[in-house]
Amino acid sequence: MTTTLIDTAASAEQAPRSAVATRTTDAHRTFVGVMRGEWIKLLSLRSTWWVLGSTAGVMALIAIGVAASLDGLMANPLTAQGMGQLNGAALVSTGFQIGMVTIAVLGALVITGEYATGMVRSTFAAVPTRVPVLAAKAIALVVLTTGVTVVGIGLSYVVTMSKLSQYDLVPALDSAETWRVLAGTAYCLVAAALFSLGLGALLRSTAATVTAALTVLLLLPSILGFINVHWVQTVVRYLPLPASQGFLPAGDPNQNLGSGLTATTGLLVIAAYAIVPLVIAAVVVRRRDA
Amino acid sequence: MIEAQGLTKRYGDKTAVDDITFTIPPGSVTGFLGPNGAGKSTTMRMIMGLDRPTHGTVTVNGKPYAKHRSPLSEVGALLDAKAVHPGRSARSHLRTMAATHGISTRRVDEVIDMTGLSTVATKRVGAFSLGMGQRLGIASAMLGDPRTLILDEPVNGLDPEGVLWVRHLVRQLAAEGRTVFLSSHLMSEMAQTADQLLVIGRGTILTAGPVQEVIDSVSGTSVRVRSPQVAELERLVVGVGVTVTSPEAGTIDLRGTTAEAVGTTAAAHGIVLYELSQQRASLEEAYMSLTQDSVEYRSDVTLTHAKEDNS
Repeated sequence: MTTTLIDTAASAEQAPRSAVATRTTDAHRTFVGVMRGEWIKLLSLRSTWWVLGSTAGVMALIAIGVAASLDGLMANPLTAQGMGQLNGAALVSTGFQIGMVTIAVLGALVITGEYATGMVRSTFAAVPTRVPVLAAKAIALVVLTTGVTVVGIGLSYVVTMSKLSQYDLVPALDSAETWRVLAGTAYCLVAAALFSLGLGALLRSTAATVTAALTVLLLLPSILGFINVHWVQTVVRYLPLPASQGFLPAGDPNQNLGSGLTATTGLLVIAAYAIVPLVIAAVVVRRRDA
Repeated sequence: MIEAQGLTKRYGDKTAVDDITFTIPPGSVTGFLGPNGAGKSTTMRMIMGLDRPTHGTVTVNGKPYAKHRSPLSEVGALLDAKAVHPGRSARSHLRTMAATHGISTRRVDEVIDMTGLSTVATKRVGAFSLGMGQRLGIASAMLGDPRTLILDEPVNGLDPEGVLWVRHLVRQLAAEGRTVFLSSHLMSEMAQTADQLLVIGRGTILTAGPVQEVIDSVSGTSVRVRSPQVAELERLVVGVGVTVTSPEAGTIDLRGTTAEAVGTTAAAHGIVLYELSQQRASLEEAYMSLTQDSVEYRSDVTLTHAKEDNS
């Protein structure tokens, strides 16, 4: 064992602080402070605004597209029949599946952006217990994602109104069903963001996280859908998108992702996707070298 | 005050830091010297709780870094000037860190002024030069007005004016009673800034102590003599424990004797002296001879250089 001791004039620890400095002696780390820090981080990056803007924009565009295809669907006797049970709110919020893409990117970037740039070392130096950082990021994401969902759906509602009114499909704002669908949409998007954040904290690479998140969130159901093996189909039912159909009616009557899960099971499955990776990440991030 | 006890870090089967024990006292500047890959940055990251030691402990002001209620007021660190998101402005970066501790925006502006970043504070960090990045790193280290500063290569990329500024800052911080622990590859800088040294090579402490002591312990001192009768003088002074080297014709360096003794002998024998001076080895020479065997990434050029320095 190497033993080294430097003995110099070890002057008093209570020596004066620099006189010019603003006193920061009352400063200390608080969770509210960590939250504020994460909030400033998110809002001070252009990429956040781009991702949020495109999420709302894409949701509105998809809604316009679906509304525009109503003419054709109604004219076709094969599809017109199914249109009768169609829910206007589901039509307005169809864009959420694509919104998931951009929201998953945001969820990933919030943490992988820190690893890629080295910012994470500044972050963990300021908050060496680390887990509060993850919690604060999760809360900030929930707030932002909910906000952008409200804007996206509001925008979709406005831009499709004239078309939907032709078929009497404008979602009634006094209907519980409308609000159930809209809240369900927001729930799915928030879960997608948190799922991506958890994966990002575990994988640390933006490319790996986005690929993994989008595969699970969007691609797997259609890919595995072709494999007609019983257990594979069981797995598919519990993937996020099919599980969401337990509480969200499909906007497009031709697309049947229905899993047969009850609304409660669907909600719980989606919650698991949001929470489980985050909890594992909290354990891993605490122990891992930054 | 930084105290490490048996600090060890292994990455797989490679040992980066091997069972080191040291104390960095407050009120002075301690230089951390070592070749690339010697374990300096790993040690500093372990102090900051960023890397977990494989064995051993390290405390700052009596506690592990992560256990402090206000980490940024205990330790300010410049570990890596790139520990910043390039898409954020310098000011936003500092504000994100300040927010975690409830440090006021006034203090943010204060460290921006202090580090001379006022004119670029709202520019995105991605466009910063290496020197500006270093200044931002120093600004974030100063944010919490910390009792201990850990600066990894603080003068890297700074212009001469910046180097001078860092030297004064570091001296002033130590004079205020703070603990300053800094690494640098620039020996001349270290010799001027540090009070004592901790020299590390291949993960172990090679030597430690006040700067001059470290130099003397390695190289000792020598007496340089320039004379037209150098051969005659050499014959007279060489004895037990005295060694002679001749850097050029008409000049000899004597070890194991004193300038006084050589001067007296020369006068007694009527030998003409053009020069008689006490030579102190430079920190660079001492460092080279200390770390010769522990250089991780050796190039032929430095190898030759090191040999020459020790001839």
